[in-house]
Amino acid sequence: MDSSPRAHVYPDPILHNERYYQQLQRRNLLRLVLTYLLPMVVLTVYFAIQYRQILDVSARAHLTAIAENQANTLDLFLRERVVNLSNLIDNPKLELPPSPAVMQSLLATLQQNSETFVDVGFFDSDGIQTQYAGPYPQLEKRDYGSQPWWLALRRKQDSFIITDIYLGFREKPHFTIAVSRTLNGRYVVLRATIDPERFLEYITRLEHPSDVYTSIVNASGDYQVVTPQLGNVLSRSPILPPRTPKSDAGVLKTERGKIYYAYTWLRTCDWALIVQSTSEVGTGFGGPSFIRLFGFSAVVILAIFVIIVMRARKIVSEVREADKTRAELSDNLLHASKLAAVGEMASGIAHEINNPLAVISEEVGLIQDALNPAFGLGKSIEDLKPSLDHIQEAVFRCRDITRKLLSFVRRSEMNLQTYDIHQVIDDVLQGFYMHEIAVSNVEIVRQFAPVAAPVVVDKNQLEQVFLNLINNAIDAIRGRGRITIATSVDHGRVRVDVSDTGIGMTQEQLDRIFVPFFTTKEVGKGTGLGLSISYGIIKSLGGDISVTSTYGVGSTFTIHLPLAASPAGTQEPPAGAAGAGRG
Amino acid sequence: MSEKIKLLIVDDEVQFLNALAQRLEIRGFHVTKATNGAEALQAARSDRFDLALLDLKMPGLDGKEVLQLLKKEHKHLEVIILTGHGSLDSAVECTKLGAFGYLPKPYELENLIKVLKEAYEERLKKKFQLDQGKMEEIMKIATGDSPLGIMRRLRELDDDIK
Repeated sequence: MDSSPRAHVYPDPILHNERYYQQLQRRNLLRLVLTYLLPMVVLTVYFAIQYRQILDVSARAHLTAIAENQANTLDLFLRERVVNLSNLIDNPKLELPPSPAVMQSLLATLQQNSETFVDVGFFDSDGIQTQYAGPYPQLEKRDYGSQPWWLALRRKQDSFIITDIYLGFREKPHFTIAVSRTLNGRYVVLRATIDPERFLEYITRLEHPSDVYTSIVNASGDYQVVTPQLGNVLSRSPILPPRTPKSDAGVLKTERGKIYYAYTWLRTCDWALIVQSTSEVGTGFGGPSFIRLFGFSAVVILAIFVIIVMRARKIVSEVREADKTRAELSDNLLHASKLAAVGEMASGIAHEINNPLAVISEEVGLIQDALNPAFGLGKSIEDLKPSLDHIQEAVFRCRDITRKLLSFVRRSEMNLQTYDIHQVIDDVLQGFYMHEIAVSNVEIVRQFAPVAAPVVVDKNQLEQVFLNLINNAIDAIRGRGRITIATSVDHGRVRVDVSDTGIGMTQEQLDRIFVPFFTTKEVGKGTGLGLSISYGIIKSLGGDISVTSTYGVGSTFTIHLPLAASPAGTQEPPAGAAGAGRG
Repeated sequence: MSEKIKLLIVDDEVQFLNALAQRLEIRGFHVTKATNGAEALQAARSDRFDLALLDLKMPGLDGKEVLQLLKKEHKHLEVIILTGHGSLDSAVECTKLGAFGYLPKPYELENLIKVLKEAYEERLKKKFQLDQGKMEEIMKIATGDSPLGIMRRLRELDDDIK
């Protein structure tokens, strides 16, 4: 059966260095940023895109509504004008052809109906304007028979026509409304012209928001009516509405950005009304609302970022504090376990000291006897010298033991140096178990590898581990037995096996052997801390510790430690640490 | 008794052994030294000792084993344990195994000598009881009579002599 130590709470005396905490902070920061800020950013971008889409849609809808509204009004207007003319020509009282005076009154009536009427003319069936009232009298008697509008009117099924803008004989842009009738068997036409500027005035007085331009184009896309800011009458409009759908919105791209527009084809004549926004919209996210959105998001993101940084820093400093506390605690625990180990060895140590004391006592007694006249021994000063030497030796023995004890127990900073592990083991055996080896029925066998096995360790701590293992082995043996300490070097690792022929462990004991405060000894003996501390020490030195055991036969504890790169130094261990024990 | 008390000391610490032996000899004991259990057992077989001083922690045979063997082979040998390992459990165990006394090291020599003398008294008492028992056995065999009968006969003998 064997067990490798599973997850345990064990003291880990290594303090992380500053770099570790910086890395921890950075990682923490990154994690938090990804968790909190990234969604924020993604959401912001998403909302910005959505917002832009909404703006787009709403702009289009807005303009389309205006366009249709205005188109309705225009249609109505044009229809009214047609009706105006129709009323005149349909008046049964109208004498044909009308006299100039009648023409004047017709014009007056028309102009009462609408200021946009410029003039009125009466045409006979050949297309000659026989009567005219208006500011261009030269047009009277002119032959319009081959004018496009006349020909178109003749061809049309409806009895009216609204022409596009054209210059005509008067050399000025205008458009005409003409109605045709067949009266008394004769084909006659009454035509009036509309002043486009007045017409434009009329249009501009239509209700529309100040941020749009309205223009009218014909089927070819030539401006019929247009504000001077956009262009000239009869010039080509950059916006060319398609025939279908009848009304729609679109975007015109210019150098500075894009312009939203909407168009509607009129019903009364073949014109399209175009409504466009007066200012460009930047492509992308430049508008003020976007700036607000991004600005707001930026503020929020910045705030979150600041909070995250503060939090990350706080967490790391808390971790640092916790590590420090833990290191302190483990330090204390280590020290306490040292004391406990010493306590466990107390009886052995007492014996180690009592024997020299007995020697001193006897030698002193000898000297006293020699000096006592009652005994009459007749010894000289020279005869007493050996006793004094023996006393001195015994004193040194005691001193070595107490010194070794003290150095072991003393709190020391972790002092990593390179030692040959064989040296460490021998120091432990000689320092603490010298007498034990000689007198007890426990045989200690050293099976050291024939090569040097340098390791980088704190000697004090490693000694503590070996002390612990050997103590445990002796306790397990309970009488007669053998402890074998075998070393080997393999694959860059030093391996030490401490085997005993003791009582062994059951699987349940094996499973818990490294758990703090777990002990197989009876109540009052041992703290149960030795192996858990040893585990922690070996782990912190970069090694491993494991155990195999057969109940009733014995156990073997195996330690692995990384092989040091350089050989063991010739430095002296810290003052006060054991030299080889004497005695 | 004008005879010296014959004492066997067993301890693996040679310096201590020598010093103690010297001091005890000055005080009138006859001391034999042994540095391990085997030596001690051999010495005990080749000579008659009154008392033994025994250290517990020794190479080879453990002190307790030596105690048991000594008591088995020499019933009347009183053994006193002298050890640097002080422990109540150990003392109780040794007493159960037959030790007369248990002294921790270091000790006052006067205490040690007192215990030795007490042990010797104990040994004498036991020996006397043994001798007395032997006497009674012999008388029984000789006369086939009860002790009271023997006493009457002796008095009669005395009176006859008078």
